[in-house]
Amino acid sequence: MNPTPSVVVSHVSKIFKRAKDLAPVEALRDVSLELPANTFVTLLGPSGCGKTTLLRMINGLIQPDSGEVHVFGKPPKPGPRIGFVFQSFRLIPWLNVRNNVGFGLSLQGVGEAERKERVDHYLKLVGLSRFADVYPHELSGGMKQRAALARALVTEPEILLMDEPFASLDAQVRELMQMEMMRLWSERRGIVLFVTHSVDEAIIMADKIALMGPRPGRIVETLDVPLPRPRWDDSIKMQRDYIELRRYLWDRIREMVTQDPSSDFYAGEPDKS
Amino acid sequence: MITVYRLLAFGLFLLIWWTVSLIVGPNLIPTPLNTVFAARDLLRDGKILEPLLSSLAVYSTGYALAVLVGIPIGMLMGGIRDLGRTLDIYVNALMATPRVAFIPLIILFLGLGAEAKIAVVFLGAVIPILIGTYSGILNSDAELIEMARSLGASRSQIYWRIMLPGALAFVVIGLRIGATIGLINTVVAELYTAASGLGGLLALYGNTFQMARYFVVILALSLIGGLVSQGLRALEAWSSRWRVTAGN
Repeated sequence: MNPTPSVVVSHVSKIFKRAKDLAPVEALRDVSLELPANTFVTLLGPSGCGKTTLLRMINGLIQPDSGEVHVFGKPPKPGPRIGFVFQSFRLIPWLNVRNNVGFGLSLQGVGEAERKERVDHYLKLVGLSRFADVYPHELSGGMKQRAALARALVTEPEILLMDEPFASLDAQVRELMQMEMMRLWSERRGIVLFVTHSVDEAIIMADKIALMGPRPGRIVETLDVPLPRPRWDDSIKMQRDYIELRRYLWDRIREMVTQDPSSDFYAGEPDKS
Repeated sequence: MITVYRLLAFGLFLLIWWTVSLIVGPNLIPTPLNTVFAARDLLRDGKILEPLLSSLAVYSTGYALAVLVGIPIGMLMGGIRDLGRTLDIYVNALMATPRVAFIPLIILFLGLGAEAKIAVVFLGAVIPILIGTYSGILNSDAELIEMARSLGASRSQIYWRIMLPGALAFVVIGLRIGATIGLINTVVAELYTAASGLGGLLALYGNTFQMARYFVVILALSLIGGLVSQGLRALEAWSSRWRVTAGN
């Protein structure tokens, strides 16, 4: 008995046309991926491997050129069932935190009383209750991303897509936000697809890692993360499984980057002799 | 502190004015004191009140019409991309054309009265307001639009909730430029059609060498310009109250 996974990506390709004199970019080639229920999956890979493109496709923001994406058995449509968290926060600057978090609900036409109740709940969950009436420019980076996370969660999505959500935060805040995210997820499961280019982040958050390669963007390998949860404290990073997985992933990524002619670290053709 | 500096600058301005009037002679440039006396006389015998109200009526009617026409057309051009692309070269061409060039044409159609003057003010103010609104919408934040789409926003929700509020700062800039050009065109219209209002007084006092009174009219015009621009600055501050305040 294997229930159909909630998200199925099968043999998807996408080419972006560019201005006349530039060659088109093959963003994704023959990508297949399945996200089972209640799984935290990280998409790991160097830049330029189409991670964001894949995310936007699962959200239904863009369509594949070939292949199919199914979410709950249908082609995806952007909306409250799929939450999206962006690297650049994307809070609306002229709305305060409360109205930013409630933005999706107000688009759906949820009444003011219910909206307030649900927004308050999620503000509390991400620790922003005290900042409900503050405008985004007054918040720190970490707090902005908490607000954006609350905005994505408040519509109770079954799938949460996160596009390098912590990449623009400083190293300490990033680790704290990772813990925070794991705590939230342990309380409120669901599918999370989390894009990152940090190997540590990919391992520590995930049940499953999809390793992607660049130009054309493709999935090279999917691996299960054999580490027990919860992973609150740092000692996890000293476990043998962790260290081996980390070394393995780093070797694969280094290999991909040094063999990619358009990478800064391209090492030239492999020695044939 | 800045108030003190402003008062000092005002004192310096008066000093320069006074010096210049002594050098060229008070018949050409009245002293500040003579100007104050002239202002008192004009206010006492009521000679400035009626022209002032007439100018204000022309200015405010023309400007209000420009707002009522410029903002909706800018909104339409920004909302319907093909309409905007079709019209924007013509709007820009009109922006670059000195609109006072149309005065003879306007006189042919509307005569020399208030309607013609209002039309001149309207024509001067409407284009910057329209362009401000249009370019504000064109400059809307693509990232916020994608965010709204990801939450399932419809096209009209994106327009009303993201693009239009984001355009507000540009709209206010258009309103400010329109207000300045509108005031200039008020005086130009009063000089070139049937002389009336403050523009008419300028011509009258200038031609009859009543320079102190002439200066009073100029000061009245600067006062109107200053008040309107302060009012619009307050609107600007309100429209961007959520921004980081980087001092005044």
